Amino acid sequence: MKQYIRKADIILFIVLIALGLAASAALSLSRTAAGSDAKVIIESGGSLYAEYPLGEDRTVIVPSPKEGVSGFAVPDDSKPASEQFSHYNVVVIQDGHVSVTEASCKNQVCVHHSDISYSGESIVCLPNRMVVRIEGKGGSYDSITS
Amino acid sequence: MTQSPRKKSQSSAQFVARVAVMASLALIFSYVEAIIPYNPGIPGIKLGIANVVTVIALYRFGWKEAASVSVIRIVIAGLLFNGVFGMLYSLAGAVVSLIGMILLKKTNLFSVAGVSMAAGVLHNLGQLLVAAALIEDLRIFFYFPVLLFSGIAAGILVGIISTLVLRVIK
Repeated sequence: MKQYIRKADIILFIVLIALGLAASAALSLSRTAAGSDAKVIIESGGSLYAEYPLGEDRTVIVPSPKEGVSGFAVPDDSKPASEQFSHYNVVVIQDGHVSVTEASCKNQVCVHHSDISYSGESIVCLPNRMVVRIEGKGGSYDSITS
Repeated sequence: MTQSPRKKSQSSAQFVARVAVMASLALIFSYVEAIIPYNPGIPGIKLGIANVVTVIALYRFGWKEAASVSVIRIVIAGLLFNGVFGMLYSLAGAVVSLIGMILLKKTNLFSVAGVSMAAGVLHNLGQLLVAAALIEDLRIFFYFPVLLFSGIAAGILVGIISTLVLRVIK
């Protein structure tokens, strides 16, 4: 053990911190207020499961692709998700905020995740390979549709 | 070249014994960490105190010992407390961070704390890459800054502890 802290350590430390700050700056710039036409996009297993307007309140049961051999199983909204599937997430859209209220997985990371309401934000459930995210900046200036 | 078979088996027995002792120690650390209840909200944020053993194995013995201790510890801890799912992430992180540590140590430019800091960051990066591959969505790099900062902090702390221990056992 020559020295406890060496020059290269400090350089590496500064480089890493700078990288982290640059990445968080880039992320906060991409986080824009969700406009009136913002959409909530739910993906499961890498493919699109459903898309809803952020402005409409609803509760969505998202079965994991593990449930069906091909495509998605169709949930029955009148019954609790836990009675129908063993791998699922429940996504709630309310007052422009999106949260995951139920998950079949052990770690419950997505349930503990804070609500999202900005465009570009997302909640991820890794065990069920589910992603919920908000897209669409909206506003009167860039609501040009292609 | 002229190593006798007896000597060879002696050194491999020594290797097995060392790795077994260190893996057991690391497993206890994993266990202690698993029973402390805390929820940072994002998977991957933890101190990883068991990595102290990996760092010490690397510096005191060599990369083979360090890699063996790390992999054995992760597989057993995965089966016992973290779940198979968490095990896959840890393994990915461990492979990336081990390669990084071995390379950085070879440069002889970094201290133990520096190597450990890089390892902490690489560990989280490896996990993030697996997560991105699993959900087939690169947007998960949203978590990158948080995991980067936590990796730096955890890595430095593990590095300091390792330095102190290495100073005593050398």
